[in-house]
Amino acid sequence: MISAVLPLIGRRLLASVLILFIVSALLFIVLHVLPVDPAAMSLPPTATVAEIEAKRREMGLDLPLPRQYLIWLSHVLHGDFGASIHYRRSVISLVAATLPATIELAALSVIIAAVLGVVGGLVLFHVRGTRKEHAIDFGSIMLLSIPEFLWSLFFILIFGVALHWLPFTGRLDPNLRLPQGSGFLLADALLAGRLDIFLSALRHMILPCFALGIAFSPTIMRVLRSSLIDVYHEDYIHMARLRGLSERRILLRHALKNAFLPTLSLMGVQFGFLFGGTLLVEVIFSYPGLGNLMVDAARNADLPIIQLVGLTYCVVVLAINTVVDSLYLVLNPKLRLR
Amino acid sequence: MTTHAAPQWLRSGRVVIGLTIVIVIGFCALFAPLLVPHDPNQQSLIATFLPPSWEKGGNAAFPLGTDSLGRDVLSRLIYGARVAMLVAVFASLGAMLIGAVLAYIAGYFGGRIDAAIGRAVDVWMSFPPVVLSLILMVGIGVGLRNVILAIVLVDWTRFCRVLRSEVLVVARKDYVAAARLLGFSHWRTVTREIVPATLPLLITLVSLEMGIAVIVEAILSFVGLSVDAQTPAWGQMIADARQYIYDSPWNLVFPILAIFSAVFGFNMLGDGLRRTLDVRVTETQRV
Repeated sequence: MISAVLPLIGRRLLASVLILFIVSALLFIVLHVLPVDPAAMSLPPTATVAEIEAKRREMGLDLPLPRQYLIWLSHVLHGDFGASIHYRRSVISLVAATLPATIELAALSVIIAAVLGVVGGLVLFHVRGTRKEHAIDFGSIMLLSIPEFLWSLFFILIFGVALHWLPFTGRLDPNLRLPQGSGFLLADALLAGRLDIFLSALRHMILPCFALGIAFSPTIMRVLRSSLIDVYHEDYIHMARLRGLSERRILLRHALKNAFLPTLSLMGVQFGFLFGGTLLVEVIFSYPGLGNLMVDAARNADLPIIQLVGLTYCVVVLAINTVVDSLYLVLNPKLRLR
Repeated sequence: MTTHAAPQWLRSGRVVIGLTIVIVIGFCALFAPLLVPHDPNQQSLIATFLPPSWEKGGNAAFPLGTDSLGRDVLSRLIYGARVAMLVAVFASLGAMLIGAVLAYIAGYFGGRIDAAIGRAVDVWMSFPPVVLSLILMVGIGVGLRNVILAIVLVDWTRFCRVLRSEVLVVARKDYVAAARLLGFSHWRTVTREIVPATLPLLITLVSLEMGIAVIVEAILSFVGLSVDAQTPAWGQMIADARQYIYDSPWNLVFPILAIFSAVFGFNMLGDGLRRTLDVRVTETQRV
């Protein structure tokens, strides 16, 4: 069963690598036609024009753009992504230090979004044709109109400022120190046996994760609802009813399984968006992840960071899509036959 | 025939609600200079963080209070509607233009052209939209025109993806083949036969895209990469209020409500139009 799927997954991976090359070239072009001069920025303001010229030559900025890209690419393929202009540290170490935080945030949010989405979709489906449908449907459009950063601000106002229930800045209480390890705080804390750190980190993640989860659940709800409606027109649902199965069993054992496939492929796209959504949520919650690094770099026009962080987002999105597509293939016997 | 009764799409409650909200905000944007009680940039350092007038310590001259520099929040909100509406209208129309043209070409001609456009969409979609717009803003620099350009360059794929599959279906219909057999040129076939059939979808997508554009502009101005600091924008107001959240939580509430109502208005309008214009959806709804 798996062996039939492997070539397809392999082709997906190949396509992803190709896309990555194109994206890196596009990124390079966009970031190198801009008006700021990285050579001038990496020198003190007192530098003379001649010094800036020398620096430009040293950085290879006087070469034609395709040459510059090839040089950059050959460095990248040797694992050298350059150094940040602002922090004067290797870009890869900056990304490695912040990526786990963002992945942790996104992963927890995805779980929340999926649970809320599936439960909400079942509720939406359950009330179809009743009077409540209108009100609940209206509510789901309202939810669709609140992006993750507005949820973040709502939650900060209500649970942070007004009720003082939960913290809303950073990853840990200020009196706790980050444990050494992978950077995945929850895992690191558990491995070190530090329950206090684990709980503090979890408390810091509740508001941002729910903000992201709630923001991305309405689309899942609505797609699950409409694919359930489609599935209920199929003969096998009719057959199940004739066999005297309970409505509950028909819904959970027969319909949900089939209606889940379209929902799954939508979730892939949604999770890609969600990963991008972490950017602003991190900024709002001062959460030290990839998003904060990116925004800081954008404000400082720190090109090497922007370049690598942009690529990193891209890699993660492509990885999510590949995983979801593969799951889709594994779960859908119709596609497997071909 | 239809002169006596309102057209069908206007009889949908959702469309009316959405349209009303959008018109109110549009009115604020258009007539901002006449509506505002104060100059939105006028500072008053002796009257900072005033609460709304109905709260204790509020001042009737500043109905929604003042911000960290003593600027009138209501006036800034009204002027902020300008940026939001300008971006919503022009960015979504621009994105539609690029996305729709490519979708018609891809869906109508199919084959290699379709595959090439499909690949381009794939490349674009491999970027989270927020990240791509941020990068573009760094690349092309801040300012209203560039915000619009960035959103157009990011969001054309939304139109292209959805519309392309619709065009694929329509282009295989018999009446399209008939038009070709009658000797219609490609141009005439697309503009006379295919575009009208996909118009409802296009209108709906534009309405939804306007909501998205408002959000993206708010995000960009929140991180300080949108319009310049002299132009009031809702995202800027939120960023400012976020810093002084304990001094005046109110300052955060009003721009949030403004963004929410704008997006809600566009979404309601889009959803209502989708239901009334799109025949397929109305049919499944009836079952």
